[in-house]
This record gives sequence, structure tokens and C-alpha cells, in this order.
Amino acid sequence: MKRFDLIVLGTGLAGLTAARTAVETGAKVLIVGRGMGAVTLFGNTIDLLGTIPPGTDIAEGIARWIADHPEHPYARTGVKGIEDALADFRGLFPPPYGFAAEDNGNSLLPTGAGTIRPTYLFPVTMAAGAAMIPSETLIVGFRGFKDFQGDTVSLHLKCRGVNLALPRYGLEGTTALALARLMDAASFRERLGEAIRRQMGGERFIGLPAVLGLRNPAAVLKTLEKTTGARVFEIPLLPPSIPGTRVFHRFREELIAKGATFLMGHSVSRANVKGGRCEGIAVENPPLVTEYCADRYILATGRFLGGGLWAEMEQIVEPLFHLPIFQPGEREQWFGKRFFDPEAHPIHRAGIVTDADLRPVDETGRVVLENVRAAGSILAHHQAIEEKSREGIDIATGFLAAKRALAT
Amino acid sequence: MTKAEKKPVLLPKLPDVCVRCATCMAACPVSRVTPRFPGPKQAGPGAQRFRSASEASVDDWIELCTGCHLCDTVCPAGVPISEMNMMAKAKYLDERGRTFRDWLLVRSDLFGELAARFSKIINPLMKNGILRRLLDALLKIDRRRDLPGYEYPTFRRWFRTRSTAEGATGRRKVAYFYGCFTNTNETDVGKAAVEVLEAHGLEVVVPPQRCCGIPRLGVGDLKGAREMGRRNIEMLLPTVREGIDIVFSSTSCGLMLRHEYSRILHLPGAEELAGSLFDICEFLLRLREEEKASPIFQPLSLKAAYFAPCHLRSLNIGFPALDLLRMIPGLDVRMLEADCCGLGGLYGFKTEKFSIAEEIGKDLTEAAARMNPDIILTDCEGCRMQVRHLTGLRVIHPLQLLRDALNPS
Amino acid sequence: MDLKTEVLIIGGGATGAGIARDLALRGIPSLLVERGDFTSGASGRNQGLLHSGARYAVNDPEAARECIGENRILRRIAPHCIEPTEGLFVSLPEDGPEYRANFIRACAAAGIDALPLSPRETLAMEPRLNPRLIGAVQVPDGAIDPFMLVVENVRDAESRGARFLIHTEVTGLIRDGLRITGARVRDRIADKSYAIAANWVVNATGAWANLILGMAGIRIGLALSKGSMLLTNTRLSERVLNRCRPPSSGDIIVPNDTVSILGTTSLREDDLEHYEVTAEEVTFLIDELSKMIPDVKNERFNRAYAGVRPLLQSQEASDDREISRGFALIDHGSGSGSAGLVTITGGKLMTYRLMAEKTADFLCERMGLHVPCITHLQPLPGAGLGNTLRDRLLHLRRQTPAARGEILCDCELVPREAVDAILREGKVRELQDILHRTRLAKGTCQGGFCVYRLLGLLNELHGEQGSDGSNVVLRSFLEERWKGIRPILWGTALKEEELIESIYKGLFNLVPEEPGRTGGGAT
Repeated sequence: MKRFDLIVLGTGLAGLTAARTAVETGAKVLIVGRGMGAVTLFGNTIDLLGTIPPGTDIAEGIARWIADHPEHPYARTGVKGIEDALADFRGLFPPPYGFAAEDNGNSLLPTGAGTIRPTYLFPVTMAAGAAMIPSETLIVGFRGFKDFQGDTVSLHLKCRGVNLALPRYGLEGTTALALARLMDAASFRERLGEAIRRQMGGERFIGLPAVLGLRNPAAVLKTLEKTTGARVFEIPLLPPSIPGTRVFHRFREELIAKGATFLMGHSVSRANVKGGRCEGIAVENPPLVTEYCADRYILATGRFLGGGLWAEMEQIVEPLFHLPIFQPGEREQWFGKRFFDPEAHPIHRAGIVTDADLRPVDETGRVVLENVRAAGSILAHHQAIEEKSREGIDIATGFLAAKRALAT
Repeated sequence: MTKAEKKPVLLPKLPDVCVRCATCMAACPVSRVTPRFPGPKQAGPGAQRFRSASEASVDDWIELCTGCHLCDTVCPAGVPISEMNMMAKAKYLDERGRTFRDWLLVRSDLFGELAARFSKIINPLMKNGILRRLLDALLKIDRRRDLPGYEYPTFRRWFRTRSTAEGATGRRKVAYFYGCFTNTNETDVGKAAVEVLEAHGLEVVVPPQRCCGIPRLGVGDLKGAREMGRRNIEMLLPTVREGIDIVFSSTSCGLMLRHEYSRILHLPGAEELAGSLFDICEFLLRLREEEKASPIFQPLSLKAAYFAPCHLRSLNIGFPALDLLRMIPGLDVRMLEADCCGLGGLYGFKTEKFSIAEEIGKDLTEAAARMNPDIILTDCEGCRMQVRHLTGLRVIHPLQLLRDALNPS
Repeated sequence: MDLKTEVLIIGGGATGAGIARDLALRGIPSLLVERGDFTSGASGRNQGLLHSGARYAVNDPEAARECIGENRILRRIAPHCIEPTEGLFVSLPEDGPEYRANFIRACAAAGIDALPLSPRETLAMEPRLNPRLIGAVQVPDGAIDPFMLVVENVRDAESRGARFLIHTEVTGLIRDGLRITGARVRDRIADKSYAIAANWVVNATGAWANLILGMAGIRIGLALSKGSMLLTNTRLSERVLNRCRPPSSGDIIVPNDTVSILGTTSLREDDLEHYEVTAEEVTFLIDELSKMIPDVKNERFNRAYAGVRPLLQSQEASDDREISRGFALIDHGSGSGSAGLVTITGGKLMTYRLMAEKTADFLCERMGLHVPCITHLQPLPGAGLGNTLRDRLLHLRRQTPAARGEILCDCELVPREAVDAILREGKVRELQDILHRTRLAKGTCQGGFCVYRLLGLLNELHGEQGSDGSNVVLRSFLEERWKGIRPILWGTALKEEELIESIYKGLFNLVPEEPGRTGGGAT
């Protein structure tokens, strides 16, 4: 049986962060996930806590939040823990494709629905979005690209908009990945830049769907800014997220380069638990089941979408270790009567409750499994969708879980 | 420890597991290069809701799926998309009939031995422009694609006639599934496999075997594939029952034997076989990890790129070849950041699909150009053919380099 | 802007549309007003079942004969709205062989082909059925697309001169002494009111009949019964499955398009505007129907919805199912002092044509015209087109990839061209109208992806409302969608919901408050 120092369950941002934190210390790491994590769907920017208004120092804002929300995952990591984890994350993305915050606070970036949304760290390809002035901005969409409705964005943002026809593509439609791939080719983006320039009416900013290349986004940005003479920014759109896929690829590349074993595509079907410890896990690839074991485990399998939690008709369960789950009442009470209820749906608070060390505990506060830690959105008492804290929680708790696990 | 477990039947209604998240659309190599294939989200669980066992299939786009399995490996919901595509393709082609070309190509194992015997005549013929034009026009086998040359003696013949290395008998035995391509077209991979295994203190045996049947599966010929599988299981099970593990050096043959025999073809005995089958590098790595054998690798001063074939990813065993190669001192080996070579087995030989395969391959060409390696290593013969064609570089099986590092002569 | 017509029809359900077509075929001008879109009432919220009549054979032979008659007519005139799936009446051990024997006899008496099947034959046809079953009877049930049926009636009537106004509600009836001479209406989208003068006013509002009659000071005895249904993600069976027992709740599964519809419940309902599917109803339907198909317990559901049946109160009864399903045509002239006003209500989708025929016969008689009904002979305009699932895949295939166009909805394979064509007609007025006319938002993600993709097309339709940055169209769609989703949120459907919520509330930051709040709307 293969033996590792640490097994990370889950290939979302929390799992990737935990695995990377561990390989940095030289640990022998296995990371296993059923598929690409949610970062590929939504990971356009690194949200920390969207409720903090722009202009407020993020550290101060989080410190206050922690004081008001003692059960929140951030209360486990503390402000310092978040800062360290984010510094580490940023270290993985050196220039020219780096992540930055503006004035150490939240920024407001436009979205594919023409709304604006608060976020903390964003890639260099989105920086101009925070600075854009609607009257001086041109939104560029592509005909046949259904996942970015440029007209809607420009209508709501009160910018001018234009829909370009794509060379080589007819009416049959295209996808974000196909576009990103085209952008990676220098000749394509040069022609595109020219096409945009011809549409410009003195605008200083250009907003495009977030498909500016998968392999070399900084170069795509550079070419477009050079040919148009304007500042160019990416606008997040319907999943899958190309910026999120970049993050995933970068982590995977780094983990494999550092010798981690990366298993993706099949689920962990069972965990061997003995005497309050996890002794091994089984990965299923029909008809085979392969067992792996380690001294420590990090559970970062996400919420319902990722498969970390599962809702039966009567209750919410954690299917792998059957850990105790904080439950928001019966099925009838899981969701509010309206989609846009003023309060977040109660089910979003469900999840795993942990001790300060991120080890799952039961209702009495007793640690359930000594060598298992939980990280990321599977944790209870956050509302990542409403709070805009998804990536922050993933990175901060993934980082902390790995640090604490390896300290034992 | 890997073992076969008795599993309940697969979820009967596969599309129900799909949450429409579109992660697969961030991975599919085909839909990213051509709008003719709508992508796994629509062609898989999307169209599946419209398919009925009692009605004729109509969605011809299913033929454009290369069967790379990447959608399966990225799907966060565990939807067996490529299996769904495979079954749909099988039904579509069963009803519509297959071309003579497909009939011919999937039987390359039958004339391989003969072609190898007459390789001196066959090989130049396959480079003959007029003949290639004919093949292109008549059979739609694209003339821009190099056809692999045949080698004689075949691996099998070589193995039978060689004198076993001194002291190699009486050791722990391991059986080798070499695959058709190694046998008739790339015998050196087989030779390297034998030498590397023997260097690890093992005695290599070669049980009787046939084509694994994956080419037939590729054209949705489940019946033909099942027949190949049935024969292989019959021929290989005695070895398994003697307690001998079987290793394969071709990831596609391996995926077929280890998983598709059971998962798609539901062949009796498939699970028993699967439990004793290993990727050769996975097997060697385990030997070394368990410290049962650890011959020293000699330094090799090379800059190498390792490309992980799609079917290796689908085996979900990590990248054991890469882990082994990293043990060679002086070898600068890094992962080639591309996810599919585009060939898709026989797919890329077909005139109507050639351009798709080429376009997918471009991404690999660019990744290779960024790395600028001396050599590219990859476990699958299809990938090797395509990567050679795309980059013009020397492309070999990792085993061949491992052999070099074990015998620095 | 005031309008004039011979017959003013109120209500754009199957009955109203059927009357418009019937009158048009007899050369009588009419104008139909509908408060929402076509089929926004009970016609769009039923099971999509093409009854063979077998369900009524034992208890109500007359209704059964009526049903099988209409069944045969509809297969002839609207084959493209029908999938001839056949139906099974499945007997479980607890249903007993006696009812089955009665049932077979009663079907024969009503003229319904009923073919008894052994358990083995039944399971070979529908392998998901409970293996404990003691037998089944095959009858000519089928699936019907009520929306297409209504739209086809409308198209045909329109081509023969009938007029239709959707999103137009009646705000009052115009009275001239003892006669009703028209109605005041309001265009709900343009917010314009005007009058329509008519010699005859037909109240075809179904469950809403008393709402209109109240405007004339009239009230009829009408019981309202809510029936809730569940929609699966994929088909559970190839045929309609019924329990072979006396009619009761939770006894039917209808394959409809890509999905199956599980039904139904029957609960008294008073509030016609705010009714919902409760958690108890959902649990009940699953428990009850899993007796017929055990897999139902593990099924993935896409949506729940409820419709309100108008049931004529011919007698006092506690269980609505005892009330006759027959329909009534009421002339409000003699007794109620509202000559020219006619109400047609009760009945069911299956008898819409017959109800229309009777109404038109009545009007003709009063008008002194002698024109016979031909709706049972004259096929609907699209009758030559196929509409099976395969046809829809085939339609996509027939075109070259370039002409196939973008597929807006990956779940239901709706091409952009289909939406463009609807918009070109110029008749739709809001998002829900487009959704009604296509399979958009009816698949696995229930519009989670395609509604965003529609926004570009909708800007023209909703330009004024949408431009304040509030995304009102998107918000109201998501809120409407929520009603159907909320009752079935567990398992995979809940995963789906987390995805959709993450997109709209997370990624697009659509927040509960209206714009103005940090991060909420536009800059």
C-alpha cells in the first residue's frame, strides 16, 4: 500500500492550497479528487470578504468580522493566517500574470451580468476593470459566444458595446475554452486588437469576456493594449471560468513538479477509520479499488456541488467519514420561500464544525478524528456565496490545515 | 494495494448525475478546436436524455468524440461521459454500418504479423505517394499522416529466440502484455521492457495474447471488442491464477484490459484479470518503493519532456513514469503541459478527422516549443506517433530511456 | 383604442383557443383575450396526459366514452402534439385481481381497447416497474403537449381571421340593461386600458370563472382542487403508468418529452393566485409512486408544480374526485339577467375540443346560423411535422454545423434560431412567453444557463425595464424558477441549485436588495 505524509481529499482551491503548502515543506503528498474543483467554475478572482466596503482596510474589516462572527472559518485562521496564506498564493503567480489588491481593500469589478461585484485579489488581466469609467469604456462581445452577453453588460454598466464577428467561426457558436485557445495564438489576438481598434470611439477602457488566453494571458493583455491603445480588462462570465482554470493548471503544474501524486477523475469511495484515526482511503476506478494511506488527512471535498456534503431527503450527511454536520433544521427549513430572500438560505450555514486546529468535532466539542482536518467550503458557519468569501476561506483554511497537520 | 471489488451495477440513468456545470467544457480537446462537436456537456448527458433504446440514433456528432476520457477525469459529479458517448456511438454505427476502412483498420492486428514479415516491401509502399493518394481517395485514410513502419523480427519472435539473461530463470516471474504495436511496429519498446524488468530482478514471461480490442471499441464495435476481450481473458487468466502479475507498456491496451473489459464490456473474468494488471512503470515504482529491487540508474545528461497520455490519466495512477524518470541522475525531466496529442488512436488517420487531430496537436507543439526539450517521453504509441509528427523530435517510451540509464553502454 | 368583435372569448387556455378555432372554421369572427400567456392557467399545469378514458371506465362510463372519442380525434387532428406511448394499468398485490377484472370489463363496455398483460410481459415492457406486480392492462393512453396544442389552435384560428391578445386582462364587463355587450380590458405590459365591444362574451377562464362572473354579479358552484406534480430529469418509463385501482392520489406517471411527470395530489384550494407544492405533497407522491416504480425514491427531480382544476359542484361532496368531471355550458341570460354572457367550465384538457364544439353550437344556434362543427375533421396546421425526441435530435443533425446555429439550451437542445423565429413573429412580449413556446428552461438546469444566454435577445423586448441596472428580468425569472425548484431540493437537484445560486448570487452578485447597495447594481 502506498504511504504518504499527507493525503488531501479534494482538488478545489482549498485542497490545492493544502497540498501545495505541504509539498513546500518537502512532504510526500497525495492529492485526490473526483474532478477539477470548483475553482474551474467560479475562481475568477480571490474574494476575501465582499461585505467590507471598498476603501476600508481589509485586515481591519476582517478583524471586526471575526469579532462579530466567532464561529466563522476566519475565526480559526485569524487575520495573520489569512495574510500568510494569501502571500503564499500570490507567490505562485509571479509577474507578468500576478494577482494584486487595490489599496489593500476590496475593489468593484464588472461581471457578465452587467453588475459590479466586490473582490479582493484579482489577476492583472482584470485590473483595469476596477478603474474603468463607464463613459470611457467599450464592451466587446463576440457573435456566437452565448456565455457572454456583451449587450447586457454594456446596457447595465451604461457603456458602449459592440459585438464582433469571429474570424473563422460562423453561426455555430463557440466556447470560452475555444476562444481562450485562439487568444493564445499571437496572430489571432493581433487581428482581434485591430478589429477592436476600428470600433473604438475614443474609449480608454475595453472590457472583454474573461477568455484572454489560457497559457499566456499576460501576453494577450499586452498585445491587445498595444494595438488598441486602451486599457483592457476581462469580465467574468458563466462557468467554466478560464481565469479559474488558469489557477487550477498553475497549481497542478506546481504540485506535479514538486513531486506530489495527483489523482483526478475518480472518487474516494471509502475511508478506513480505526480508533479515532483515519488509517487509509480507497480510490475507486471500476472495477478496481486502490488503497492509499498517510499519517494525516485533509478533507477539502467542498459543499454539495463538490460532493463533500450530500443532502438526503431527511438530513445532510458527509458521505466519506460520516462526520457530524451542523444541520439547519428539516428539509422544509433549508431554503427560504424566495430565491432572493433578504437572509441567506439557512442551508448555507451547514457544514463541519471544527476545533481551533480545524479538526472536526461533534456536538459536544470532542474531536472526532485525530488525524483528519477539514478545510474550505465544507466548513460550517459561513455563507460564501453571499459574503463573497469563497476563495479566501479555501486558501486560508487550506493553508492552515496543512500547516497544523504537518506540525503533528 | 489494488484489488477488484464486486460492485453494484452502474447508475442506470447516467445523465441524472450531471449538474450541467460545464467543467467538461474546460477540458474537451475536440470542442475547443471545432464547433462541429458540441462538447461533452451537450453530446454526453445532454443528448442522452433524448436517446431511446427503441429508436434509431441520429446524432452523428457523437462520431467526433475521440474517446480520450478527459471529460470523465475532470467531471466533479462523476458522470461517465465518455462511456455514454461510446454507447451512443456504438448504437449509431451499428445502425448505420461501418466503413470498409474502419473494418480494415481495426483488424491491423491480423495482418500485422504478415506485414512485419514483408516489412521490406510494405514499408516503402506505405510511403509511396501514389498508393497514399489511393488510400486517401478510396478509404479516406489521410495521406498527410505517416503510417507506422513494420519491423522484423517481431517482438514476440525476438523474445522466443533470445537467450534468457544469465540467472534470470527461477526469479519472481512477471508477465508482459506487449500489445500489437510493440510486437510489429516498435519492437524496441518491448525489448526495453524486458531488459528493465530483468534489471529489476524479475523473470519475464510472455503469455499468449491477442489485440486488446481497443481499436474496435473506438469505432463502437462492442461485439468485436467483446470477442477480443473474451479471448484475452481466456489466455491471460491462467497466468493470473498462477499468482503472476501482468504488466503492460501501452496505456491504451492497459486501460482496455484493466477497466473497459469490465466497465463497458462487462466480460466475465474481467475483474479477476484487472486485479493483477499493472502499468509497467507503476509496477516498477512499487517494487522500488517496497525496496524489493533498486538497480542504480546511471546519469543521463538530457533535457526531457514527459507527456502524460490521456489514457494514462484515465488509469488514475498518477504519473509513475515521471516518478521513475526523476530517479535518473542528471536527467532534467519536466511535465509537458498539454492535455491531449489529438491522435485519438485511429481517429487521426481518418481523412475527415485529420484536421481536428492536427488542430488539437498544435497546443502540444506549442507547449513543446516553450520547453525546447532534447527528447519527449510518453507511454502511448499513438501519442508517440503524433508527437513525432508534430514536433519532429525524438519521442520514445520512458522505458527506453530507463533502459539506457540502466545499461549506460 | 376600442375594439369590436362578434364573440369575445376570455381565457387563453385550451378551451378558449379551441372555441376560437371552432368559430373561425365556421366563419364567425372572434377575439380572445388572455391575462397572461396562452396556457398560463390549468392547461399549462396538468400532466400532459392523452387520456384513453380507461381511468374513468369503472366509475364514470360516460366520461370514459367521451375521452376515448376525443382521444381518437386528437390523434387524427394533432398527431404532432401527441406521443402515442400507450399506457399500462398496473395491478400491485394490494390492488387485487377483482378491480382488474372489473376494469377490463368496463373498458370493453366503453369501447376502449384493453389488452391484459402477464407480469412477465409487463416487466419486459417496463423493467423499472415493481417486480411484485400481478399484471397490467395496456390501453391507448399517450402523452400530449398542451402548449403546442393550444398554440396550434391559435395559429389555425388566426389564419382564419380570429384575433388574440395576450397579457390583456378583463377589468370589467360592459352591460347594456340585461345584456352584456363587451368588456373593459387592460394591456398589462403597456398598462393601457380600453374597451372591447362584442355581441357575445364567452367566459372560458376555467378555475377563474367566478372572477369574471363576479363582474356581472354572478357566482356559480365551482370547487377548486389543487393537484401537485413532480417532474423527473429523464424518463422513468416509455409508457404511461397508472395504478389499476379506483382513482386516487399518486397513481400516475406520464412520460412527457425528455421527462416523466408524477402525479397527482388533490387538495381543496381557495387562493387562485398563491398556491404552492408543499413538502408533504412531495413526500407523499414519492412514497406512493415508489410502490409502482421502486426507483422513484432515488429519482432526480427537476421541478414540482401545481395546477388548479375547476370542478363543477353538482352536489355536496367532501372528496373532489367524487364530483363529476363533466363540463358545463351556462347561459347567464335567462336566470342571471346577463344575456350574451356564456360560461364554459369544468371539463379537462382531453375534452377541450368537445367543449369548444358545444359552445360554438350554442352560439350558432343563438345567432341563427346553421354551420356544422368540423374541428374533428380538420387537422391542425403542423400535423405533418414530427415531434418525438428523435425528431428534435434529427432536426439538429439535418442542418450543416454552420447552419445548425448556436444551441442556447444545452439541456433541451434548443437552437438560437428557434428563439429568433419566435421573436420575428413579433407576438411574444416577455421572457416567459418565449419559455412557453420552446423547451428552454425545461431541462436539467431549469434555465440556469440558457436564461442568461437569452438576455441579449431580450434586451429589445425589455429594453426599458432592463436598463436601470437592476436586472429585473433575470431576477423575476429566478424568483419564478424558485417556486418550482424549492420543493425538490435535496440530492443532485440541490447540487444543481448550489451551482445556479453560485452563478447568479455569487459570480453575478445579484443580491436581494434593489440597486444602490454596495456591489448590487450598476455603477
